[in-house]
Amino acid sequence: MRAMVARRSEWSPVRLVPTVTLVILAVLTVLPLHVPDYASVAPLLALAGVYYWTIYRPDFAPPLAVFACGIVLDLLDGGPLGVGALLLLLARAAVLPQRRFFVNRLFPFVWMGFTMIAAGAILFLWLLGSGIEGAWLDLRAAMLQWVLTVATFPAVAYFLMRVQRACVPPE
Amino acid sequence: MRLAVPIKVVGQRFGLPILVLASVAMIVLGKADTLLFERMRSGFADSAAPVLRIISEPVAAIDSVVGDFRDLFALRSENARLRVDNERLLRWQQVAQGLEVENGRLRELLKLTPDPSASFVTGRVIANSGGAFVRSVLIDAGNGAGVVRGQAAITGEGLVGRVTEVGERAARILLVTDLNSRIPVAVDGSRERAVLAGDNSDEPRLVYLPPRSALKVGDRLVTSGNGGIFPPGLPVGVVSGITDGIIRVQPYAELSRLDFLRIVDYGLNGVLPQAVAPRPPKPARGGRAG
Repeated sequence: MRAMVARRSEWSPVRLVPTVTLVILAVLTVLPLHVPDYASVAPLLALAGVYYWTIYRPDFAPPLAVFACGIVLDLLDGGPLGVGALLLLLARAAVLPQRRFFVNRLFPFVWMGFTMIAAGAILFLWLLGSGIEGAWLDLRAAMLQWVLTVATFPAVAYFLMRVQRACVPPE
Repeated sequence: MRLAVPIKVVGQRFGLPILVLASVAMIVLGKADTLLFERMRSGFADSAAPVLRIISEPVAAIDSVVGDFRDLFALRSENARLRVDNERLLRWQQVAQGLEVENGRLRELLKLTPDPSASFVTGRVIANSGGAFVRSVLIDAGNGAGVVRGQAAITGEGLVGRVTEVGERAARILLVTDLNSRIPVAVDGSRERAVLAGDNSDEPRLVYLPPRSALKVGDRLVTSGNGGIFPPGLPVGVVSGITDGIIRVQPYAELSRLDFLRIVDYGLNGVLPQAVAPRPPKPARGGRAG
């Protein structure tokens, strides 16, 4: 196990792995998929990533990494800068105290938790967006985005689980 | 290692609040001063463009394969439709050729100043905006290819939006459906002026129409050329519904399936001498599309 070499308190490149996965998820969000109306309801893949790492390895996805991922997301999608970063940081802050409830549970339980976090996040995003733009944004699009975000969570979690098993040492 | 511990503790304890505050500050600053962030954005888009282009290529390839299969199933009906279309268009072509000759002769008689000719830059869409906030796309052509802020982006069908941020290799196009998009348009035929205002829905609204306008569903809208940045006469969309005084417009361009965009260079608002802008060989204006 090459990964075991990296001890907890020491810095190693392995620590950057979750950050890299978060940035990959952010990039995947903005890919032009040519699906009608996809862009306005594109799932918040990075949120799923932050949720996953906050539960399983919060020490490997510190606030700074989450912040960086949020900024990348904002820069890529052309929205107001700081919104994605704020959203992901608050999501991390909300999940962190609860992580013990989730860490050794079965997947459906973790997924349930994510549906709630995603609902809160998208509602927050919708309110913040409406505030910034000074007009109510389309609530139906926000709800569809929530459904898609929740629906894509298993795929994201599976991908991150494989990454974690492959290169992140156990706690 | 030991010296680093207090810094680490401080970082762990206050890192989150500091970063949350930084994010909020960015949102507020972005609302107040957009120029700084715009530079940041275009700089980032520049460096991300090659990566995005590489990733978006297989996605586009898969998409085209899926599209091919879908087309295969629709081949028979498509063929029939195209045959009917072709017949109709051939008739139109004859009419148009006649009109073109007549138009040319009349223009000559009137000594009309020709409109400045437009040239085009083509770019591929490499990123969509996600979420309910913005309707914009990133294309892989920027300053280097001659893209300038404010230029119109079109597809074969019609107007897509306006260039809002330009980097060296990438540019962001604000779609006509975006909340912040305002396009001066004219009703084809009556030449009534209005403004097409996006509201993040699929069908932007038509505002500032003159009072007692005879606008009806199905009327065609084209760019009016007011403001001097867009060439006049670019097809924009059709009036799709009038309810309670709110006029909705269905854009001609299929905004959810954008692939390649053409950026119209109108030759610096016609200030440049005619010889500088490459002229299309035909007497017809290059700016007309679709």
